[in-house]
Amino acid sequence: MPTTDPILISDLTLGYGTHTVLDGLSLAVPAGSITALLGGNGAGKSTTLSALLGFARARTGTITVCGIDPAADPDEARRLIAYLPENVALYDHLSAFENADYLLALSGERPKRGTIEDALSAAGLQDRAWHRRLGGFSKGMRQKVAIAVALLRQVPVLLLDEPTSGLDPRATADFNALLAEVRARGTAVLMVTHDLLSAADIADRIAFLEAGRVEHEVAASGEERFDVRKLHARFQLGAGRLAA
Amino acid sequence: MILLAHELRLLLRQRLSVMALALLATLSAASLILGMSEVQRQRDAIAAIPAAQAEDIAAVADYVDRTKDAGSAAYYSFHPTWDAPSALAFAALGMRDVSPYILRVRALGLEAQIYDGDTFNPELALPGRFDFAFVLVFLAPLFVIALFHDLVSGEREAGRQRTLDALPRGGRSLWRRRSALRLSLLWAALALPFMLAAAWEQVAVGAILAVLAVAMAYLLFWAGVAALVSRLRCSSVTNAAVLASAWLLLVLIVPTLANVAINAALPIDQGAEIALAHREEVNRAWDIPREDTMRRFYARHPEWSPSAPLGPEFHYKWYLAFHQNGDESVAGRVRAYRAGLEARDAAARATGWILPSVGVQALLMRLAQTDLAAQLRYQDRIRSFHRRLRTFYYGYLFTDRPFDRTDFDRAPRFGGDIS
Repeated sequence: MPTTDPILISDLTLGYGTHTVLDGLSLAVPAGSITALLGGNGAGKSTTLSALLGFARARTGTITVCGIDPAADPDEARRLIAYLPENVALYDHLSAFENADYLLALSGERPKRGTIEDALSAAGLQDRAWHRRLGGFSKGMRQKVAIAVALLRQVPVLLLDEPTSGLDPRATADFNALLAEVRARGTAVLMVTHDLLSAADIADRIAFLEAGRVEHEVAASGEERFDVRKLHARFQLGAGRLAA
Repeated sequence: MILLAHELRLLLRQRLSVMALALLATLSAASLILGMSEVQRQRDAIAAIPAAQAEDIAAVADYVDRTKDAGSAAYYSFHPTWDAPSALAFAALGMRDVSPYILRVRALGLEAQIYDGDTFNPELALPGRFDFAFVLVFLAPLFVIALFHDLVSGEREAGRQRTLDALPRGGRSLWRRRSALRLSLLWAALALPFMLAAAWEQVAVGAILAVLAVAMAYLLFWAGVAALVSRLRCSSVTNAAVLASAWLLLVLIVPTLANVAINAALPIDQGAEIALAHREEVNRAWDIPREDTMRRFYARHPEWSPSAPLGPEFHYKWYLAFHQNGDESVAGRVRAYRAGLEARDAAARATGWILPSVGVQALLMRLAQTDLAAQLRYQDRIRSFHRRLRTFYYGYLFTDRPFDRTDFDRAPRFGGDIS
């Protein structure tokens, strides 16, 4: 594995109390790529994100974000990370523009007004929504605001937690297109998801997490090119979606 | 500053927060206006004293001028004393609403005159006046609870906490900044109306700063309580309930129980009992030989003993002597009562070190000079004035000097600030 990968996890063991959640997890996400992390409930997907954000400390092994240990220097690591939780919750009594402005200010960024509007536009948010309060926004629209913030922060790492859950197919397609643009900027994207179809659409690699370690990892191209139906049969994921 | 501006916008977009701040500012302003109007009423009453006194003395002088009797002059003339409110009294009326701030005394027995008025109106004595101290001590914590109970839990419940924590400058600095902003706004809602009122009343800068510091410290205490409760990681509703219970305990229940405990541990007579004892002593004097009364009086005040012996007729020097004997007979009880009051006050102030609500109230009353110490100082000034009054009238009575209209002008005047 190249040591320059923005996300680099090596033989990571992590747990809470006597319960071990991650057990020898190794994963690398290169710059300009999207890795989807799939796994059943309790497999350790969200804990992996927590470790990258510096919320959880490793028992053994190493975890770095652009060479920085998030547990040792969480502020510095978070400076390099944009994180989108499963439900992007922003401030309903602020407009899309004000939310972006505020979150950027919290991150130490002070972009100009036009720059924020450009980012909202690039994220696919229609201009009539920029100065509307978020109270009536759909999940997809909220995600676009959060993506705009991530774009403006120009961070090397984007962490996504179940980004397409609850999105309709069109919104999922829009989101994936946006994600492709983020990847094109050289960002390393780690996407935690249950949605194998969406992951297959956009990810460069899919890592299957089981009992706290990557059991299988496939690439989207080359000899490893993954076949969704085969993967589904093997890991019994997303049965409902595939049947539909 | 940019972040604070963002936080301010965020807070001001929350209707409930804005309403809470506006309500606190309104209550603060209303309490100050009421306090100022009460103090002005007291000042007006004190300012009206000279004219009323002149009218009163003129009526007595008309009568006395005919008889030339110093005893009648001493008996019928009332002499006003007053305790002018301090510049800061409007902020904490303290004991000024339950204790007299004007007392018209005669040269007769003093203790009954002082303690006749020592009957508290329980409706006023329990909760006190609606003044700035009341708003700060009793109501401001509720506004702290309103603005702080969901500071962190609200973000958690809205699903934003993880997003905020994941930001490079999220986490503790964010909560500190938000807490500081809320605290500053709450403080401003109290402080701005207070500063305007204080400037109007020409309160000394040091006293203004002291009150502002006390208010900030008290708000900080409650913000600290809210921060402790938020560490339990309960829901906003639970936080609010826990904080409301803490308010009930720390502001109402425990101070009341502490007061009951102090009163039980330090039992004292009521002031009215001293007045009653004094009256009984005075009334008893009518039934004992007058010579016994005079002997007892001269034993304590030999400077008047060269006075001519009493004849069979009534003489005011005997009347005033047994009044003074009455004062001296209850002197021990008066000292004990005062010591008891001071001990209770000291115990209450000591309680203030562990009960901020009690401590803040005591501190504000001390700064406003409306506490027990101020009331006792006023009593001391009355006693001192009364001694001069007695000496003045005794000079006529015990030498049988005639007293005419012009002698009223020579009577001692109470030396208090009339404004």
